[in-house]
Amino acid sequence: MSDGQPTVLPGFGLTLGFTTFFLSVVVLLPLAALVLLAASTPLHQFLDAVASPRALASYRLSFGGALLAACINLVFGFLIAWTLVRYEFPGRRLMDAVIDMPFALPTAVSGIALTAVFSTNGWLGRYLAEFTGIHVAYTRIGIILAMTLIGMPFAVRTMQPALLEVRRDLEDAAETLGAGRWCVFRRVVVPAVLPALLTGFTLAFARALGEYGSVIFISGNLPLKTEITPLLIVIHLEEFDYRGAAALGSVMLAASFVILLAINLLQAWGRGRRVRREQ
Amino acid sequence: MSITLDQLTKRYQGAPVVNDVSLEIGDGEFFVLLGPSGSGKSTLLRAIAGLSGLDHGCIALHGRDVTHVSARQRGVGLVFQNYALFGHMTVAENIEFALRVRRVGAAERRRRRQELLRLVALEGLDERLPAQLSGGQQQRVAVARALAHKPEVLLLDEPFGALDAKIREGLRRTIREVQRELGITTILVTHDQEEAFAMADRIGVMNFGRLLETGKPQDLYTRPATRFVATFLGAANLILARQGADGPRWGAGAAPAHGSSLGTGAREREVVAVVRPEEIELARSRETLSCTNYLARGVVEEVLFTGALERARIRLDEAHDAPILAHANGDGAGAVLLEATRAQFEQRAFAISPGQSVTIGVRRAHVLATPLSSFTVCAPNSSDAESLAGHPLLVDLSSRMKVRIRRRVEPMLAAPAASHEAVAPLSGTTVIAVRGDATSDVTWLLEHGGEEILILPEHASSPRRVLIHWTDESARSATLAVSASILRHLAAEAIYVDVLPEHTPAAARSFGIRALLDARSEARAAHGLEIRTEMRFGVAARALQQRLDEAPGHMLIVGIASASQLTNELAALLARPRWPLLLVHREREAPAHSRSAA
Repeated sequence: MSDGQPTVLPGFGLTLGFTTFFLSVVVLLPLAALVLLAASTPLHQFLDAVASPRALASYRLSFGGALLAACINLVFGFLIAWTLVRYEFPGRRLMDAVIDMPFALPTAVSGIALTAVFSTNGWLGRYLAEFTGIHVAYTRIGIILAMTLIGMPFAVRTMQPALLEVRRDLEDAAETLGAGRWCVFRRVVVPAVLPALLTGFTLAFARALGEYGSVIFISGNLPLKTEITPLLIVIHLEEFDYRGAAALGSVMLAASFVILLAINLLQAWGRGRRVRREQ
Repeated sequence: MSITLDQLTKRYQGAPVVNDVSLEIGDGEFFVLLGPSGSGKSTLLRAIAGLSGLDHGCIALHGRDVTHVSARQRGVGLVFQNYALFGHMTVAENIEFALRVRRVGAAERRRRRQELLRLVALEGLDERLPAQLSGGQQQRVAVARALAHKPEVLLLDEPFGALDAKIREGLRRTIREVQRELGITTILVTHDQEEAFAMADRIGVMNFGRLLETGKPQDLYTRPATRFVATFLGAANLILARQGADGPRWGAGAAPAHGSSLGTGAREREVVAVVRPEEIELARSRETLSCTNYLARGVVEEVLFTGALERARIRLDEAHDAPILAHANGDGAGAVLLEATRAQFEQRAFAISPGQSVTIGVRRAHVLATPLSSFTVCAPNSSDAESLAGHPLLVDLSSRMKVRIRRRVEPMLAAPAASHEAVAPLSGTTVIAVRGDATSDVTWLLEHGGEEILILPEHASSPRRVLIHWTDESARSATLAVSASILRHLAAEAIYVDVLPEHTPAAARSFGIRALLDARSEARAAHGLEIRTEMRFGVAARALQQRLDEAPGHMLIVGIASASQLTNELAALLARPRWPLLLVHREREAPAHSRSAA
């Protein structure tokens, strides 16, 4: 609530009004339309679209891939953020800027670039295939790679400010108290940045789940094997099967809502535990 | 000894931040490291804790060499300025951290935690989070946490910096009580001299990475050995005086202190006397002055009421015999005001107001042993003198040393051989610029009583390394004294370079080594200055030249016993020095009439 003190922006009523309006027009209305369209689908048609083996395989790939990509980003995003925050080295600013590249690049471009590098006759893919037998392009590995690339800046950018907050003193203090490096990391650094880690993970996950442009270039799009849900939706659309697309879309919506809610509850629980202890 | 530091040196980007610090701290002692910000005191503390490495030196705790022992194994408790509590842990978890890491059982941890909370008067706050505590309470938790593993040494890094005055007072008392109760050896780092006085058994004053002086608070306050300590520990008026056989004489013609005349035969030296503001007496006239030591007359410029004390600033009358303040308070050379503080009874006896003319007496003065009393810029014409007086290094030095720069135009410098008119004797340190070969200038100055001559090349910056050398053992003491005086105000390492002839036989070399050791122990014993030593072989001038050319940022201090040594042995150095060169000239004394001990 407004506490009666003048602020930079005009009154509480006006700003809240704008907030509601924009959220409605940009987010809620389209989502509502999607759900309505799906809801008006006859049940058998809905089930056909949603529970077909092809759809089920695509869920597994989309959610599994996004989860894995988010995990990778959690670990490596943390490492990158740590390096950028803690060390001063030539090229640090450049590296910092490069992190943002996936933000700005059209996702299709990232897909093409990844394919160029990792396809069987690409710069790296060639040697990977020859020496290790691992094929990246047109496999699930490629999909996860694309999802990781797209989610990376989200993870890094949420963890960076949190790591900046962890002062050197805390580690020094822990060290003089007898804690080894691993112990300092586990008991001092990680707990301090845990909320940011979770947020970074969530954002990277959400981004990977919704990713379409880059994945379709590198995935090969084999039904039941390397076909992600967003692609399946597009295929329905191309067949003018709007109801089928809406049905798939609403399933994705519901699933991501549940996952995001779960993570938020987890965070709230973490905070709550602290608050309870305070009393 | 609980803590023994031996010649600790820590460099940062080539410049020493901790510069040859040696120190011993006894069992159960409360030692305060005092210094301005950037003096290296926190770095020194971190080095003792094992949190920052050293370039040189040894640290021993309770006789155990811990130089290469990691922080977690040193058994040290450290308290930070900003508490550094773990924000996601409760007070209890914070305090038990060290015990948990050591896998101490829950019951024992609980017992110890409660004991510590009682010690810092925070019982019952176990389950709070740091964010729910006030700053003072947080710092108490930090102290308790640092003591949990029963460290042998407690280190406090500006623990009161973030607290306001009232809370500070209470926490100070708590820390002092805890320290006494546990009998734990403690080092506290602070820039606040009042805090240092209130807490310390012994104080060590640091400046530019050097530990300048250590001693009991009273001793350091009343009898500081260095100008820096005198002015950093409380307010001080530094007054130029002439040191005779029986105390300082103010000004040119004033009666000597205690009304006695000068000792005969003794050569008067310019010295710096420290007069604390509370040792200044103000009176209506010389007759009503209760102390015998008349200083001057002056006009009250400003009177400030500060509660218990009254602070006055007084402008001295510009009589020919007026004493000269050695430093410029505040804004450059112009406004030099004498500071005085007066207690209530003094205010009642003689009330003063701005604009009033008063007579000033000195109840007690302390003469500093420092040989560098003032800088006198000497140049053939006034514009040269002016530009030399503005030399960055000189300005830097004089402001750090709180020394005046006087200007003196000496046309003879341009044509030294021209005439032998009588000139006023030189006093203090004479400064000249490099104008080609400096030999003739220096010779002229030496002939006219110059004892310390600083030769400044046009582009000389603050040196990082000061090389010390003397051509004659009789110049050793004076050279070391001058070196110590200057090095206290520079972030530079001191290296004594002894040069032996090229083909010195082994037997003679051992004498050379003895000379090095003598130099080092004298520097340490007489001036508290830690120096390193080097031996070189060859011709002195060339060996020094080579050493100077090894890296930029050198300064050279050379002690000589006669002008001829300069022109014969060191002529090459004077040809066109590219580094600041300070010559210290002390004639070899005939044993018959020794100088009076001052």
